Amino acid sequence: MPTAEIFRALGDPIRLEMVQRLSSGSSYTLTSVSTNLGISRQGARKHLDVLQHAHIVVLKPHGRDVFVELEPATFDAAKEFILNVEKQWDRRLAKLKLFVEED
Amino acid sequence: MQDIIERNITVKAPKERVYSAIADPTQVTTWFPDAVEGKYEVGEQPIFDFGTEGKSRIYIVDAKPFEYFSYRWVAGETGVVDDVTKVANTLVEFMIEEMGGETKVTVKESGFSAYAADVAQEKFDMNSGGWEYMMNRLEKSLTD
Repeated sequence: MPTAEIFRALGDPIRLEMVQRLSSGSSYTLTSVSTNLGISRQGARKHLDVLQHAHIVVLKPHGRDVFVELEPATFDAAKEFILNVEKQWDRRLAKLKLFVEED
Repeated sequence: MQDIIERNITVKAPKERVYSAIADPTQVTTWFPDAVEGKYEVGEQPIFDFGTEGKSRIYIVDAKPFEYFSYRWVAGETGVVDDVTKVANTLVEFMIEEMGGETKVTVKESGFSAYAADVAQEKFDMNSGGWEYMMNRLEKSLTD
Protein backbone atom coordinates (compact mmCIF):
# COMPACT_ATOMS: atom_id res chain seq x y z
CA MET A 1 0.00 0.00 0.00
CA PRO A 2 1.63 3.25 -1.08
CA THR A 3 1.99 5.62 1.85
CA ALA A 4 1.08 8.51 -0.38
CA GLU A 5 -2.40 7.21 -0.84
CA ILE A 6 -2.90 6.93 2.91
CA PHE A 7 -1.94 10.54 3.47
CA ARG A 8 -4.06 11.66 0.59
CA ALA A 9 -7.06 9.73 1.85
CA LEU A 10 -6.73 11.35 5.26
CA GLY A 11 -6.27 14.83 3.88
CA ASP A 12 -9.95 15.65 4.12
CA PRO A 13 -11.95 16.83 7.16
CA ILE A 14 -14.93 14.51 6.55
CA ARG A 15 -12.76 11.44 6.17
CA LEU A 16 -10.68 12.42 9.13
CA GLU A 17 -13.85 12.77 11.22
CA MET A 18 -14.92 9.29 10.12
CA VAL A 19 -11.54 7.89 11.06
CA GLN A 20 -11.66 9.62 14.42
CA ARG A 21 -15.08 8.10 15.12
CA LEU A 22 -13.84 4.67 14.15
CA SER A 23 -10.75 5.00 16.32
CA SER A 24 -12.87 5.64 19.43
CA GLY A 25 -13.28 1.92 19.95
CA SER A 26 -17.04 1.81 19.45
CA SER A 27 -18.37 -0.25 16.58
CA TYR A 28 -19.90 1.57 13.67
CA THR A 29 -22.09 0.52 10.80
CA LEU A 30 -22.15 2.14 7.37
CA THR A 31 -25.15 4.14 8.55
CA SER A 32 -23.88 5.25 11.93
CA VAL A 33 -20.47 6.33 10.71
CA SER A 34 -22.15 8.42 8.02
CA THR A 35 -24.56 10.40 10.22
CA ASN A 36 -24.18 14.00 11.37
CA LEU A 37 -21.42 14.82 8.93
CA GLY A 38 -23.41 17.52 7.20
CA ILE A 39 -23.39 15.62 3.93
CA SER A 40 -25.70 13.24 2.10
CA ARG A 41 -25.53 9.48 2.46
CA GLN A 42 -24.22 9.23 -1.09
CA GLY A 43 -21.56 11.79 -0.25
CA ALA A 44 -20.57 9.87 2.84
CA ARG A 45 -20.39 6.68 0.81
CA LYS A 46 -17.95 8.29 -1.60
CA HIS A 47 -15.69 9.25 1.27
CA LEU A 48 -15.90 5.72 2.64
CA ASP A 49 -14.95 4.38 -0.77
CA VAL A 50 -11.80 6.49 -0.69
CA LEU A 51 -10.93 5.19 2.79
CA GLN A 52 -11.65 1.65 1.70
CA HIS A 53 -9.55 1.99 -1.42
CA ALA A 54 -6.62 3.23 0.67
CA HIS A 55 -7.09 0.21 2.97
CA ILE A 56 -7.77 2.49 5.90
CA VAL A 57 -11.13 0.85 6.57
CA VAL A 58 -12.66 -2.54 5.82
CA LEU A 59 -16.36 -3.23 5.39
CA LYS A 60 -17.64 -6.33 7.15
CA PRO A 61 -21.19 -7.46 6.40
CA HIS A 62 -22.88 -9.01 9.41
CA GLY A 63 -26.53 -10.00 9.10
CA ARG A 64 -28.41 -7.00 7.77
CA ASP A 65 -25.72 -4.55 8.78
CA VAL A 66 -22.39 -3.65 7.29
CA PHE A 67 -19.80 -2.80 9.92
CA VAL A 68 -16.95 -0.43 9.21
CA GLU A 69 -13.63 -1.16 10.85
CA LEU A 70 -10.19 0.35 10.77
CA GLU A 71 -7.23 -1.46 9.28
CA PRO A 72 -4.40 -0.71 11.73
CA ALA A 73 -1.63 -2.20 9.59
CA THR A 74 -2.09 0.57 7.07
CA PHE A 75 -1.04 3.12 9.60
CA ASP A 76 2.18 1.40 10.41
CA ALA A 77 3.30 2.08 6.88
CA ALA A 78 2.55 5.78 7.28
CA LYS A 79 4.12 5.85 10.71
CA GLU A 80 7.31 4.23 9.52
CA PHE A 81 7.57 6.60 6.61
CA ILE A 82 7.19 9.70 8.77
CA LEU A 83 9.56 8.37 11.44
CA ASN A 84 12.21 7.76 8.82
CA VAL A 85 11.91 11.21 7.34
CA GLU A 86 12.08 12.75 10.82
CA LYS A 87 15.13 10.71 11.76
CA GLN A 88 16.90 11.75 8.59
CA TRP A 89 16.29 15.43 9.31
CA ASP A 90 17.45 15.04 12.91
CA ARG A 91 20.69 13.49 11.71
CA ARG A 92 21.22 16.21 9.13
CA LEU A 93 20.47 19.02 11.56
CA ALA A 94 22.91 17.53 14.06
CA LYS A 95 25.60 17.60 11.38
CA LEU A 96 24.68 21.16 10.47
CA LYS A 97 25.06 22.15 14.13
CA LEU A 98 28.50 20.56 14.32
CA PHE A 99 29.57 22.41 11.20
CA VAL A 100 28.36 25.90 12.13
CA GLU A 101 29.62 25.67 15.71
CA GLU A 102 33.16 24.72 14.79
CA ASP A 103 35.72 27.52 14.84
CA MET B 1 -2.71 20.62 6.85
CA GLN B 2 -2.18 16.98 7.69
CA ASP B 3 1.12 16.30 6.12
CA ILE B 4 3.87 18.37 7.66
CA ILE B 5 7.04 17.22 9.30
CA GLU B 6 8.81 19.83 11.36
CA ARG B 7 12.11 19.51 13.20
CA ASN B 8 14.36 22.11 14.75
CA ILE B 9 17.69 22.54 16.45
CA THR B 10 19.33 25.41 18.32
CA VAL B 11 22.91 26.25 17.46
CA LYS B 12 25.52 28.55 18.92
CA ALA B 13 26.32 30.47 15.77
CA PRO B 14 25.06 33.66 14.13
CA LYS B 15 22.23 33.38 11.60
CA GLU B 16 24.51 34.51 8.76
CA ARG B 17 26.72 31.50 9.41
CA VAL B 18 23.75 29.14 9.48
CA TYR B 19 22.31 30.62 6.31
CA SER B 20 25.59 30.17 4.46
CA ALA B 21 25.80 26.59 5.64
CA ILE B 22 22.49 25.95 3.90
CA ALA B 23 22.55 28.29 0.90
CA ASP B 24 26.22 28.14 -0.09
CA PRO B 25 26.90 25.11 -2.33
CA THR B 26 30.45 24.78 -1.02
CA GLN B 27 29.18 24.65 2.58
CA VAL B 28 25.99 22.61 2.25
CA THR B 29 28.15 19.67 1.21
CA THR B 30 29.83 19.55 4.62
CA TRP B 31 26.65 18.34 6.33
CA PHE B 32 24.04 17.38 3.73
CA PRO B 33 24.79 15.99 0.25
CA ASP B 34 28.33 14.87 -0.59
CA ALA B 35 28.28 17.07 -3.66
CA VAL B 36 26.04 19.44 -5.62
CA GLU B 37 25.88 19.20 -9.40
CA GLY B 38 24.58 22.18 -11.33
CA LYS B 39 23.65 25.70 -10.34
CA TYR B 40 22.63 26.03 -6.71
CA GLU B 41 20.40 29.06 -7.24
CA VAL B 42 16.72 29.98 -7.06
CA GLY B 43 14.84 28.66 -10.08
CA GLU B 44 17.50 26.09 -10.91
CA GLN B 45 17.32 22.30 -10.55
CA PRO B 46 20.69 21.06 -9.33
CA ILE B 47 21.35 17.50 -8.19
CA PHE B 48 22.24 16.46 -4.65
CA ASP B 49 24.74 13.64 -4.74
CA PHE B 50 24.53 11.45 -1.63
CA GLY B 51 27.33 9.11 -2.66
CA THR B 52 26.40 5.48 -2.21
CA GLU B 53 22.87 6.49 -1.22
CA GLY B 54 22.20 7.88 -4.66
CA LYS B 55 21.31 11.21 -6.15
CA SER B 56 18.26 13.41 -6.00
CA ARG B 57 17.33 16.40 -8.12
CA ILE B 58 16.01 19.44 -6.28
CA TYR B 59 14.24 22.58 -7.44
CA ILE B 60 15.30 25.64 -5.49
CA VAL B 61 12.19 27.68 -4.75
CA ASP B 62 13.32 30.61 -2.64
CA ALA B 63 16.30 32.06 -0.81
CA LYS B 64 16.09 35.03 1.54
CA PRO B 65 19.32 35.87 3.36
CA PHE B 66 19.67 35.21 6.27
CA GLU B 67 16.38 33.72 7.26
CA TYR B 68 14.82 31.41 4.67
CA PHE B 69 15.75 28.81 2.06
CA SER B 70 13.45 26.34 0.34
CA TYR B 71 13.46 23.68 -2.32
CA ARG B 72 11.27 20.90 -3.69
CA TRP B 73 12.28 17.30 -4.14
CA VAL B 74 10.93 13.79 -4.11
CA ALA B 75 11.07 12.92 -0.43
CA GLY B 76 12.16 9.61 0.93
CA GLU B 77 13.42 8.60 -2.47
CA THR B 78 16.64 9.05 -4.21
CA GLY B 79 16.41 9.30 -7.90
CA VAL B 80 17.13 11.82 -10.55
CA VAL B 81 13.97 12.97 -12.23
CA ASP B 82 14.08 15.28 -15.24
CA ASP B 83 11.92 17.96 -13.68
CA VAL B 84 11.05 18.00 -9.99
CA THR B 85 8.07 20.27 -10.53
CA LYS B 86 6.44 17.76 -12.91
CA VAL B 87 6.25 14.94 -10.37
CA ALA B 88 4.76 14.58 -6.90
CA ASN B 89 7.19 16.36 -4.62
CA THR B 90 7.54 17.78 -1.16
CA LEU B 91 8.55 21.29 -0.16
CA VAL B 92 11.51 21.57 2.21
CA GLU B 93 11.82 24.89 4.02
CA PHE B 94 14.60 26.07 6.29
CA MET B 95 13.74 28.89 8.68
CA ILE B 96 16.44 30.64 10.64
CA GLU B 97 15.75 32.84 13.65
CA GLU B 98 18.07 34.41 16.18
CA MET B 99 16.90 33.86 19.74
CA GLY B 100 18.81 35.24 22.71
CA GLY B 101 22.30 34.88 21.32
CA GLU B 102 21.60 31.53 19.72
CA THR B 103 20.06 30.58 16.41
CA LYS B 104 17.09 28.29 15.90
CA VAL B 105 17.00 26.35 12.66
CA THR B 106 13.67 24.83 11.72
CA VAL B 107 13.19 22.48 8.83
CA LYS B 108 9.68 21.88 7.59
CA GLU B 109 8.84 19.30 4.96
CA SER B 110 5.30 19.35 3.59
CA GLY B 111 3.20 17.95 0.79
CA PHE B 112 3.26 14.23 1.49
CA SER B 113 -0.44 14.02 0.67
CA ALA B 114 0.29 15.10 -2.88
CA TYR B 115 2.42 12.06 -3.42
CA ALA B 116 1.67 10.03 -6.46
CA ALA B 117 0.74 6.42 -5.76
CA ASP B 118 3.88 5.09 -7.40
CA VAL B 119 6.22 7.02 -5.12
CA ALA B 120 7.07 6.04 -1.57
CA GLN B 121 6.02 2.43 -1.59
CA GLU B 122 6.44 1.34 1.99
CA LYS B 123 6.56 -2.00 3.67
CA PHE B 124 3.85 -3.13 5.95
CA ASP B 125 4.71 -3.69 9.55
CA MET B 126 2.22 -5.54 11.70
CA ASN B 127 3.25 -3.92 14.97
CA SER B 128 0.45 -2.22 16.81
CA GLY B 129 0.49 1.33 18.04
CA GLY B 130 0.28 2.80 14.60
CA TRP B 131 -3.15 4.16 15.11
CA GLU B 132 -2.48 6.06 18.25
CA TYR B 133 0.64 7.54 16.80
CA MET B 134 -1.12 8.58 13.64
CA MET B 135 -4.09 10.08 15.40
CA ASN B 136 -1.91 12.08 17.76
CA ARG B 137 0.03 13.33 14.83
CA LEU B 138 -3.06 14.25 12.85
CA GLU B 139 -4.62 15.95 15.81
CA LYS B 140 -1.48 17.93 16.38
CA SER B 141 -1.21 19.00 12.77
CA LEU B 142 -4.85 20.01 12.70
CA THR B 143 -4.54 22.21 15.75
CA ASP B 144 -1.29 23.83 14.65
